[in-house]
Amino acid sequence: MKITRLIALSVVLTFLPFAACAQGKPAPKDALLYFVWPQDGATIKGGFWCRFGLRNMGVTHAGDNFQNSGHHHLLIDANEPIDPNEPVPQDKSHLHFGAGQTEARIELPPGKHTLQLVLGDAAHYPFGPPVVSEKITVRIK
Amino acid sequence: METRAVAVIRDFKSGKNRVPPDGAMPRRLAAIVAGDISGYSRLMQLDEEGTHNRVKRIERDLIEPTITEHHGRLVKTTGDGFIAIFDSPVEAVRCSIVIQQNLVGRNASLPRDYWIEYRIGVNLGDVIIEADDIYGDGVNIASRLEGIADPGQVYISGGIYEQIKHKLVCGYESLGDRKVKNITDPVRVYRVLPDPAAFHRSRRRRENILLFLLSIALIVIAGGSLWYMLLQSRGKVGNQASAPVSSPAPQPSSAPSAAPTTKQAAQQPQPEPRATPATPLASVVREPEMKTIRAGIFSMGSNDDVTEKPTHQVTIKPFAMSLYPISVRDWNECAAAKACSFVAIGKDDAPITNVSWSDAKQFAAWLAGVARKAYRLPSEAEWEYAARGGTQTKYWWGDQFQSGMANCKNCNDIAGAEQPMKVGSFKPNPFGLYDMGGSVDQWVEDCWHKNYQGAPTDGSAWVEGECGSHVIRSGSWKNDARYVRPSNRDSYDTNVRYPTHGFRVALSP
Repeated sequence: MKITRLIALSVVLTFLPFAACAQGKPAPKDALLYFVWPQDGATIKGGFWCRFGLRNMGVTHAGDNFQNSGHHHLLIDANEPIDPNEPVPQDKSHLHFGAGQTEARIELPPGKHTLQLVLGDAAHYPFGPPVVSEKITVRIK
Repeated sequence: METRAVAVIRDFKSGKNRVPPDGAMPRRLAAIVAGDISGYSRLMQLDEEGTHNRVKRIERDLIEPTITEHHGRLVKTTGDGFIAIFDSPVEAVRCSIVIQQNLVGRNASLPRDYWIEYRIGVNLGDVIIEADDIYGDGVNIASRLEGIADPGQVYISGGIYEQIKHKLVCGYESLGDRKVKNITDPVRVYRVLPDPAAFHRSRRRRENILLFLLSIALIVIAGGSLWYMLLQSRGKVGNQASAPVSSPAPQPSSAPSAAPTTKQAAQQPQPEPRATPATPLASVVREPEMKTIRAGIFSMGSNDDVTEKPTHQVTIKPFAMSLYPISVRDWNECAAAKACSFVAIGKDDAPITNVSWSDAKQFAAWLAGVARKAYRLPSEAEWEYAARGGTQTKYWWGDQFQSGMANCKNCNDIAGAEQPMKVGSFKPNPFGLYDMGGSVDQWVEDCWHKNYQGAPTDGSAWVEGECGSHVIRSGSWKNDARYVRPSNRDSYDTNVRYPTHGFRVALSP
């Protein structure tokens, strides 16, 4: 009897730290993530500087756990929906800007491409609800 | 004409800034002090005339003389505040502290409701100076800093902090980067604690919190290991009691559980670069298993992706590469020696993850130090040479992807896991190396270059150019089969950690 109770206690204690780091940090309701440049439907020749806009929140280095701040991720031609319970993926269609960049030089092959911004928290998780920009389409000549 | 005369007199009085020739905008770098009274309208409501008189007296008896004393210039006073500029950031902060401390004395004899408390912000910035006002971004930031300051406090910007940190003996508490209204870039903010003792008090509070978390972690460890031991002893009774008492068993579980607190500590804004640990335990360190790679010439790159072009011949000198990615066990030895900045959670034989390039460099430097061997990160060329294992095909086993060859997403019959599998779960490549492709992304020494235009051909690391980001290789268990190709390459910010990033080490003969 005593042993089972001890075991139960140990289980609870062992899992405590996991419960403590639940994801989906809250973001201010009026947070707005948007593209300063390019605009939706723009036709661009060659490479371009993509500029990220953020209102009512701050941009910080990934790993910095300040309230109401995060860092940018640029999704290029990404089709999968954003999973709020996973870190933003890191691959060729999910570019990370964890050093706090607010712009990036982007070079894409000619054709139509979609762009979308997602703000990530210190551990690269989206906020809850996610702070994302509109998905825009650009055409590269 | 008359206003010009006034301006001349003002400037004459303050002893600087002669009237500039017409048309030229007088600009200069200045430390800007902005202060205002918190709860001014409440005080006015309480006692309009009394408050007004007291504020005017404070301005006359305290603020103006203190500013002059510190070689500053009062630019203007508003109903409830003032703006002053100083040539020296040290004087500006000193002046602010003097004002705040004097006000404490003045308020002491009054009931709480009648206290006049200033909030003060100090910023270093380029300003445009006119006869009776100053303008510029720097001024706005100073008043924003003042806006977020608590009553009785002085908040300074990062620019000011850099100038005064070693010159003014007082405490500074970093409040991190703050986004302030209508200013695009976040501003680094510090709170000035007039006496260093106050700093210790606030730090002690933080230490207490850390201690509390640590004790929770210890309880968890104790609970966990007790649980483990109970299970163990039960199992033993069932089998036989011949084996020695399992004392080493609970040990590994202690490292993981301590991680949450340590990780938090690592995120505090005090980096502790410790390059060479002076531990005399050098001989005890368990070095990673290494595999000698023979010299050779190979064709680096491919036509599958723009970043992998152009393919070029590279000559590789003999070197050794770790058999597996660095594991949690390897990493935690470095952490235990206080040479790596955090203790990793996870199984001992899982690859270490969530490390930045700088973390990986720290590990290699520590290992080289304690083992007295030339451990380092591999160059990108060495990595690809080792990953190809003497082949020139798309994957080391051929041009077609095969299930069950690498730990990548949708690559195996087993459902995608939350964690990478333990190191060495799949077949080694022809050079006998495991997990060269899939498992975890692996940092190499090279700075990121968007293609191989101008790359070295002697197998050395390509470190010229902007080094804000470094190369990662291998792809991870979260990437699909395309990323497993030995020629695949990607980049990531040098100082940023990400949950799929690990590394392996190389050794020069």
